[in-house]
Amino acid sequence: MGDRNQVRLLWGAAALVAGVVVFTLIYKGSTGLQWILSGLTVGSIYALVAMGFSVIYSSTHVINFAQGEFTMLGGVMMFTLCTSGGLPLWLGFLLTVGIVTLLGAGLERAAIHPLKDQSVITVIIVTIGMAIFIRALAKWIWGTDPVKVASFTGDKPLRFFGASIVPQSLWVFGLTLLAVVLVFAFFNRTLLGKGMRAAADNPDAASLVGVSASTSSLVAWSIAAAVGAAAGAVIAPINFAAYDAGAMLGLKGFSAAVLGGLGSAPGAVVGGLVLGVLEMITAGFAPSGYKDAVAFLILILVLLIRPQGLLGKPADVKV
Amino acid sequence: MMAADTLLQIKQVTKQFGGLAALKDVSFDVTSGEIKAMIGPNGAGKTTMFDVLTGILQPTAGEVMLKGESIIGLRPDQITAMGMIRTFQTIQLFEDMTALENVMVGCHCRTACGFTSSGLRLPASRREEKAISEKSMDVLKDVGLHTRAGEIGTNLPYGQQRMLELARALASEPDIILLDEPAAGLNQYETGELAGLLARFRERGLTILIVEHDMGLVMQISDEIVVLDYGEIIAKGAPQDVQNDPRVIEAYLGIEA
Amino acid sequence: MDKQLARPLDDGRDYRTLGIVTAFILLIPVWARFIPGDVLHIDIVNVMVLAGIYACVVVGLNLLVGYAGQISLGHAAFFGIGAYTTAILCTRIHGFPTWLGVMAGAALSGAIGWLVGKPVLRLKGHYLAMATLGLGEIAFILFQQLKGLTGGTVGILDIPPLSIFGLKFDTDLKLYFVVWIIVMALMLLSINLMRSRVGRGLRALHSSEVAADAMGVNTSTYKVQVFVLSAAFAGLGGALFAHFQKYINPESFVLAVSIMFITMVVVGGMGNIWGGLIGVLLLTFLPQVIQAMPQWIPGLPSALQNFSNYELVLYGLLLILFMMFLPKGVADGLGRATDFTEVRARRLGDRRRAKKLEGR
Repeated sequence: MGDRNQVRLLWGAAALVAGVVVFTLIYKGSTGLQWILSGLTVGSIYALVAMGFSVIYSSTHVINFAQGEFTMLGGVMMFTLCTSGGLPLWLGFLLTVGIVTLLGAGLERAAIHPLKDQSVITVIIVTIGMAIFIRALAKWIWGTDPVKVASFTGDKPLRFFGASIVPQSLWVFGLTLLAVVLVFAFFNRTLLGKGMRAAADNPDAASLVGVSASTSSLVAWSIAAAVGAAAGAVIAPINFAAYDAGAMLGLKGFSAAVLGGLGSAPGAVVGGLVLGVLEMITAGFAPSGYKDAVAFLILILVLLIRPQGLLGKPADVKV
Repeated sequence: MMAADTLLQIKQVTKQFGGLAALKDVSFDVTSGEIKAMIGPNGAGKTTMFDVLTGILQPTAGEVMLKGESIIGLRPDQITAMGMIRTFQTIQLFEDMTALENVMVGCHCRTACGFTSSGLRLPASRREEKAISEKSMDVLKDVGLHTRAGEIGTNLPYGQQRMLELARALASEPDIILLDEPAAGLNQYETGELAGLLARFRERGLTILIVEHDMGLVMQISDEIVVLDYGEIIAKGAPQDVQNDPRVIEAYLGIEA
Repeated sequence: MDKQLARPLDDGRDYRTLGIVTAFILLIPVWARFIPGDVLHIDIVNVMVLAGIYACVVVGLNLLVGYAGQISLGHAAFFGIGAYTTAILCTRIHGFPTWLGVMAGAALSGAIGWLVGKPVLRLKGHYLAMATLGLGEIAFILFQQLKGLTGGTVGILDIPPLSIFGLKFDTDLKLYFVVWIIVMALMLLSINLMRSRVGRGLRALHSSEVAADAMGVNTSTYKVQVFVLSAAFAGLGGALFAHFQKYINPESFVLAVSIMFITMVVVGGMGNIWGGLIGVLLLTFLPQVIQAMPQWIPGLPSALQNFSNYELVLYGLLLILFMMFLPKGVADGLGRATDFTEVRARRLGDRRRAKKLEGR
């Protein structure tokens, strides 16, 4: 598709999404607004998961099927540390993020790094194996029932033009904003971050300035695990934490990442929010079982029409 | 004006990549039975031209006619079936396949059995297999590799891999073959063998368009040379004339002759 | 790892092996009779029927993934389409012949494979992987949501057993033979294909799509055709599954099942005609063995007897370890072992010959 058509496509897509949102607000009033606010909340989580995918992909061209599991672990660990263990929330949060980050780094060293020369399919299957392994361990440790984590600042809903929003949602938005700023700054302003981006395209040149492909991979996985765990910790009070929360989150987060553009942090946010809102609106208008299909439909459409997503560059599409 | 024996006509072919013009208004013909060389400094657009000719890239403007028919918009495998085939600058032999099997793939466009007759091993497919393997052995004999038929292609020494790629292309019974730096990495003896082989095939009616940096080979076998620089033709003619053309010398050496 | 040895093209090795394997498999129920049921705690015939059903899917998937070098993380969808087709036809239309239902299942699967394959196979690598994953998920959601057709989350019950020309295959043992004869027929088809012009074309496109195009292989059509074939095989397996289990619901066609199929292909050995079969047998029996093991060893602590957690943890670990240490699968490992002995034998032979020449 030519460049001019691509631009038209982007404007068309934006108009379509805006149109759907406006239609919902007009037709459904404050109920519609409620859907949109819920959509933004869950969309922020998708955005954070998507960021994890993007970080690993842009540094190593690997797609980490276990990304959703980092988020799941964030939730269940907060439960263990804060609800069961009685630790203050801020301490529990830091410990959770820290532990899962170490886990992510450990997994990278143990199973990803040794496979650097293997084919796409091999690495994909390894990350799938990791996801299965982590999920099964979580099931063993925490059981199958969802667990409740306390909200950070209470549960009193805030009214907003006829719709209500729990304070925890503000924490979710805040974390998403913080994460995208930090990740963007890291990859565009720090030497290590810029080196990592370079390492993906030109590992030899990057290692000359001290950033090897190996370092790149390790740091990327650590960041992805941290962001994922933070997301899980902050959404747990709203969504309940359970051992199987990671599966769908991972898939939808991936769709969001592809929509926004794999490898782009702002893209992850755009993709996540759009996906979340569209999903909630679909659940409002159609039988709720279909809402999960939105993510996959978007995924397939984007892959077929514009694989680099909304904000990605065509060069990022590696065949 | 198409002469009766013009095989390939390239008319004002232009290829733009965004703002960069890899090929600018390139026109030349290749007549049947001719050996034509396309030379020029690195980045002149020679491989791009091959990609356009074989359908890997579509030209931004211009026309290419093979045997009087346009090939613009056709897939590479369709162009091969029409009689134009190429070899690659970096060897693209099929891995995990023997030399014989590699050549047998070359016969693909001249055979027809599909999933059904192959899956059920119908008599037609068995006959075809036999014909393919015999034909391929003949081609291997032609290039002198028949003793290596059972070895994995990518395990052969470099020079023989080049020959194998050539054999594979020849198995498709082409009217014209596009050779992309076939002598790259060959020693003098092997290059001489290559020259002899090309001359032999030309005698059998094969037309050759060759991109090469080995000037000795080019001078020895070409009937005519086309010189590209920055995507444009800067000279065209008999080897002696092109060799002494000041524009060509300047393009290669960057100095005014 | 030097693939020095190339087998001559016209050796009948694969066909002879097929004959031996067929004979062996058809005799399994015989010797299984001699193992007292309470020793192994595994119903071998029953598990083998399921393995055979999975093998239908995996043989086709191996053609797609191992030979043609593509990937699909959504093949459970085709498995499900085959199952639902025959289930719906046989439970809604009184007296609908089950063998026709099975064929319809395979055909519809193949048709849908063509419809979705054409656009999706333009993608490559992990983009193709994710697109097929997305398709598989959408299929699952449709299985759940189209309640009028599929029975929703409850599914379809009371599916009649398979019967062909009046012969009812209502026991595991009878179904065993039907299923495995079908599997061996599919294997025969695959061997034929892989040794033909089509097989070479597929292997060529796996190795270098550009060169395959240049040599006259219509790569885009071939990719779709092998995808359709693998979809049809999967549909066939799914239909047999419906008549084996006699009830189906969407849970049998989740993403995990697609992943199981791919794992069987990869663990068994991609690009090796026997890889699929090896992978199926390994991964169908392994959970059974893990489940049965505590019962073999009396007095095992109860924590270890909680098999469903144990099994998944092991499964995930297995995937990871296999990919790390045996990425080309068990079949390659076996192949390398036999090649190794063959190379040594040849080298010995060459050395002896050289000595003889020297002696002259």
